[in-house]
Amino acid sequence: MGNFSRILIIAVCCMTMFAVPCSSAEKSSPSGYHQEGEDFLIPDVALYEMMVEEYSQETTSIRISQSIVGPGKTLEPHDPDMMEPDSGPFLNEIEEMDLIADPFEIVNRFFFHFNDKLYFWFLKPIGTGYGKVVPEPLRVSVRNFFSNLAMPIRAVNCILQGKFKGFGIEITRFVVNSTVGVAGFGDPAKQVYNLDPQDEDLGQTLGSYGLGPAFYITWPVLGPSSLRDTIGMAGDTFLNPLTYGIENIGYNFAVRGYDQVNRTSLKIGDYESLKKSALDPYVSLRDAYHQYRKSKIKK
Amino acid sequence: MGFKLFLSGIVFLFLSTVIQDQALAGKPTDSIRKTTDKIIGIVSDPDLKETDKRKEKDLLIRKAVDEIFDWREMSRRTLARHWRKRTEQEIKEFIDLFGKLLERTYLDKVEGYSGEEVLYKGEAVDGDYGVVKIMIITKKETEISVFYRMKKKGDDWFVYDISVGGVSLINNYRTQFNSIIVRSSFKKLMKKLKAKVEE
Repeated sequence: MGNFSRILIIAVCCMTMFAVPCSSAEKSSPSGYHQEGEDFLIPDVALYEMMVEEYSQETTSIRISQSIVGPGKTLEPHDPDMMEPDSGPFLNEIEEMDLIADPFEIVNRFFFHFNDKLYFWFLKPIGTGYGKVVPEPLRVSVRNFFSNLAMPIRAVNCILQGKFKGFGIEITRFVVNSTVGVAGFGDPAKQVYNLDPQDEDLGQTLGSYGLGPAFYITWPVLGPSSLRDTIGMAGDTFLNPLTYGIENIGYNFAVRGYDQVNRTSLKIGDYESLKKSALDPYVSLRDAYHQYRKSKIKK
Repeated sequence: MGFKLFLSGIVFLFLSTVIQDQALAGKPTDSIRKTTDKIIGIVSDPDLKETDKRKEKDLLIRKAVDEIFDWREMSRRTLARHWRKRTEQEIKEFIDLFGKLLERTYLDKVEGYSGEEVLYKGEAVDGDYGVVKIMIITKKETEISVFYRMKKKGDDWFVYDISVGGVSLINNYRTQFNSIIVRSSFKKLMKKLKAKVEE
């Protein structure tokens, strides 16, 4: 009970903290471009204007990152040609030149290799062994349990983004899955009532307020992230009941580690196929992360 | 009684979405559906399951994919600003190698197929461009949204990009290739491509 009220207090604090920028961001956002649903269908003229706008933003952000990098290091230059204005009326076209700044590439590449080894030497063998002992449906249930537990992260971030329907769905999902779904191991909310989880986090919330990713970071163990998403991740741990539920640090890490192994066991092969299809796996992962987060924020 | 009403409500909702789905489906969706069904047919064909039939199977999938993938357009979009600086010979070589890499990536994904559900979530067309949205539901209960971006040529629609879970394949390769060309050269890129395809 005490833990729950602590979460509630933090949630309320966060909400008040973000209430001001939230409403102002809503007012200042350009109307029309990112309407729900058909957002990729926009007329030619508007698209071209957006491209020009995006290009000028892009060049300024590159200039900024260049000053961080220093003069010795070359960054991939941007060229308006790359946008190919004749290449079609889809939003996709203008995003094609959108790169995430990477001023700490050397460090990031180091940790990329570190994580690569960590995966192939430890996580993968452990995940594979675990997967052989525990049948897949049970592992899916365990994943459901942990994700049900993390409901406050999604629910609070729905509110922070003004997605009240999403908030309602998350609460309903939690109630249904915690009871009918037996403590969250099952997902009847989705299977019976067709309520999809609202995958929201603080990084996305900050992104929806107009904050860019700033620059790319590869964290050891945790993997790809950005400055914005790292701040988000740190904030979200306050909303995760796991943070409060298990006070013994050793047990806490053990439970999180188990969650990680379980998830890994369900994702074996994903990283391998990325690596296999890439000419430069580091750049491929960086770009995939950037594109993935952008598409999440747009939703 | 109330439960019956509830059930019939669900059935009605379900039916209306099915009907809507079909009403929305146009030519781009049709061609994606045709190819997807063909590939699923090949992959789940028990006669082709044996390992010695692997080559034959790959060839059949390749043929099916060739019919709707526009390799040239994909290559052009991937090289972007570097495209214009290439000679016709270089372009030919590039399309050949890049096509092979894409095919292999695609084959890798398709060959793991084991009865996953494929749902057609509609399409959007604007002039000669279109998007077909599909959803793949895996055995592990994860949903993967896939967008096929297509361009009309004559009467037919051809794929020029595939987005998986919000990540465009062409954008991803463009970023990689650009980084390699800018840091070294186009020749180096071709060398790396060749090595990757032969891997």
